[in-house]
Amino acid sequence: MQQYKKTQNKLILVLVGLPARGKTHISYKLNRYLNWIGYKSEIFSIKGAQQNNDQLDQNIDYELEIDPANQQFVDVRQQLSFTAAHQLVNFLQNDGDIALYNGLTSTKLDRQKLKSLFKEKLKLEYQVFWIESICDDPQVILNNINESKLSRFKEKTIEQFMNQINVLAQDYESLENIENLSYIKLINIGKLVKVHMLEGYLCSKIVSFLLNLHANNRQIYLVRSCQTEYHLLDKIGGDPELSATGKQHSQQLGDYFIEELKGNKNITFFTSQMKRGIQTAEIVGDKLGIKALKTKNLDEIDYGICDGLTVKEIAAKYPKQIKERKANPLEFKYPRGESFLDVIHRVEPIIYEIERSREPVLIIAHVAVLKCLYAYYHCNQINEIPNIDIPINCVIKLVPIPYHCLESRVIIK
Amino acid sequence: MVGLPARGKTYISRKLHRYLNWLGYNCKVFNIGNYRREICGTECDKNFFDSKNEQATKARNECASMALNDLINYLNSDGEIAIFDGTNTTKQRRNMVQCQLLQQCQNVQTLWIESICDDVEVIQNNIKLTKLNNPDYISMSPEEATKDFLGRIKMYEEVYQKIDLDEKLSFIKLINIGEDIQIHKVKGYLLSKIISYLMNLHTYPRPIYLTRHGGSIFNQENRVGGDCDLSQQGIQYSQQLGKFLFEEFPNQEQRDQIHCLTSTMKRATHTADIVCNILKINYLQLKTLDEINVGICDGLTYTQIAIQFPEDFAERKVNKLTYRYSRGESYLDLISRIEPIIYEIERSREPVLVIGHQAILRSLYAYFHRNEISEVLQLEIPIHVVIKLTPAAYNCEEIRIKIDPDTGERKQIEEDLQFTRFNILTKKKSYILL
Repeated sequence: MQQYKKTQNKLILVLVGLPARGKTHISYKLNRYLNWIGYKSEIFSIKGAQQNNDQLDQNIDYELEIDPANQQFVDVRQQLSFTAAHQLVNFLQNDGDIALYNGLTSTKLDRQKLKSLFKEKLKLEYQVFWIESICDDPQVILNNINESKLSRFKEKTIEQFMNQINVLAQDYESLENIENLSYIKLINIGKLVKVHMLEGYLCSKIVSFLLNLHANNRQIYLVRSCQTEYHLLDKIGGDPELSATGKQHSQQLGDYFIEELKGNKNITFFTSQMKRGIQTAEIVGDKLGIKALKTKNLDEIDYGICDGLTVKEIAAKYPKQIKERKANPLEFKYPRGESFLDVIHRVEPIIYEIERSREPVLIIAHVAVLKCLYAYYHCNQINEIPNIDIPINCVIKLVPIPYHCLESRVIIK
Repeated sequence: MVGLPARGKTYISRKLHRYLNWLGYNCKVFNIGNYRREICGTECDKNFFDSKNEQATKARNECASMALNDLINYLNSDGEIAIFDGTNTTKQRRNMVQCQLLQQCQNVQTLWIESICDDVEVIQNNIKLTKLNNPDYISMSPEEATKDFLGRIKMYEEVYQKIDLDEKLSFIKLINIGEDIQIHKVKGYLLSKIISYLMNLHTYPRPIYLTRHGGSIFNQENRVGGDCDLSQQGIQYSQQLGKFLFEEFPNQEQRDQIHCLTSTMKRATHTADIVCNILKINYLQLKTLDEINVGICDGLTYTQIAIQFPEDFAERKVNKLTYRYSRGESYLDLISRIEPIIYEIERSREPVLVIGHQAILRSLYAYFHRNEISEVLQLEIPIHVVIKLTPAAYNCEEIRIKIDPDTGERKQIEEDLQFTRFNILTKKKSYILL
């Protein structure tokens, strides 16, 4: 990863906002994205601190017990928030690159204390970037609660929770320029965005990423291009056309999507610039009445000198490379070709497009590329990528919901 | 655009124009000031801009209307993106423009870009750099001109209304050169891209050095592609280059700030190794800076390509920009590939050194210097020459220095260009940036 990671300072991302403003959702998404592009990133929250603390009653959900009248809970939350900050410092002092903090940050005093703690305890160069989520649309807040918190309410009702939030809101202090912090404010899920004192490569990237987030739970379909002659000959790479069976399967794929998409023509439809991708997409697109956007970013991984050879030929000709690949499948780069890390980097703009899209997304691409896309939504660590299974003639449907991603696979006969 | 005079609106317009053209869009800037100069002449002093001066206000409104009409015509024909460069400082004016655009243009999206600045020093600097050479002030002394211009700003200030959320416009506000940014209701691929681009702009005059790797073995044999190493001369050039840059930045603190970017190919990495050893700095290897992928023609000389792949060779001669080497890339693919590098360079407030390859540097250079991407292909980026670009008010100042690898002698040279016009494919939807 030395290529893409710049020699830079450690980064702390601090989330600010009242409960049910999507802070945890944003932190999960950011954490997933940063890990995917190769940084070592982790979230430090009240919940996390509680799970590590055996002395506390694990049945009480301290993240949700925000009743300001209950002094005992207030103290425990304060303590957990503090613990999380210390864990964060430890993480960065070792080999962590980026830490996300989701604790108590609602008042200027809290933030001041946090800043001082970092200054005191962190013995290396670091940058802090504050991310505030503000929401004054009651419908959105209600949706947030329903989707992410309701299942965790034991005896509480939504009304009680909202009332508690309203009490907290009275002491809440939004980020102000006077505090001299580098921040981004996302208001009503990015309808209005305010950025102050933005600095640095990574923060710019994070801001661009955050601008694209939204709360629509739309489906993402990942499909491989259909069968080609190379498949039958066990060759890898190349730019072959679809075989007759391949064309047939594409037709069936088209039929499947006609039913799935129910006439929605506004979908985001991408494919690669390789013949098999374009042909599959044309057949499917014809059935749906839409055209795919062809992008070179979705092209299959470049196999370099191994391109067009069969698996046996490669084993015979380049045994040293096979050994290298077995040892480190993620970082292994085919000579004059690419590694998975290169593919991730190449496919990043597509992730932005998928995130930005509020309509269903259909991507017809190739094995290695789809592994990387799939890993963004499903894997916690990128070294799992080489082992992901992306079978042919199989539609992988992903539906990202708060904190998870639902998956279903359908084999097209 | 929206904003008081001397807030950088034209600077932003021109940069956006250059960027969007480079990406391949049909883009044009409509500057109201130019229309005003043509119709009302250049003898307008600050009283012309007084909102209470009825006759002058009428004339100025007419100029704005004419510019807007031309813009609408442009979009309804083959234009894709139009930039309306004017002050647009009142709600009334913005409302009128927005309504007219939505009525008369098919399928259009608008983005309002407001530039706000209250730093007196920055404004004075802007006036000095861009207004004193303006045709409006040719006959006046610098002091008189500055005084009059400040008076003009005051006239606008009296009626200035910043963009309000009530106006329900998609906008981005850039405050004090990006110290504060506000974004409202921005959706869509192109607008998101433009926003990301604008967030990275600044006016620090840092130099950008572009150079090809030192001469390689393939260069000597006239071959394309490959991943060979430097020739003896190439190594010597790298050493001389290192010495040259060492002298450009007299102390180590300055040198430590240089961002050195190179590709993952041997010849470039080797050059960077030598140079950065002398400068005692690190360099970053990026696959995005690798030379254009020539696919099946890799390792061949041009003569061999002409013999082995005659149809490809002929096609390339006709259509060099869009021609894609089989299993390789085209220049358009290349431009799309190196776009993140442009962001990196724009964002950087420190000197940047790019050690790249011919096609890559042509594309990068085209962004900094020219508007027509058809001209990319004719650009000369000779070996053993370092190009120093210093962004100035509306363009880049350029110095080319040829460094002799044997003697280390440095000679400033001029570039030699031939331009040809070329048409690029257009898309359906149109955009207006105001």
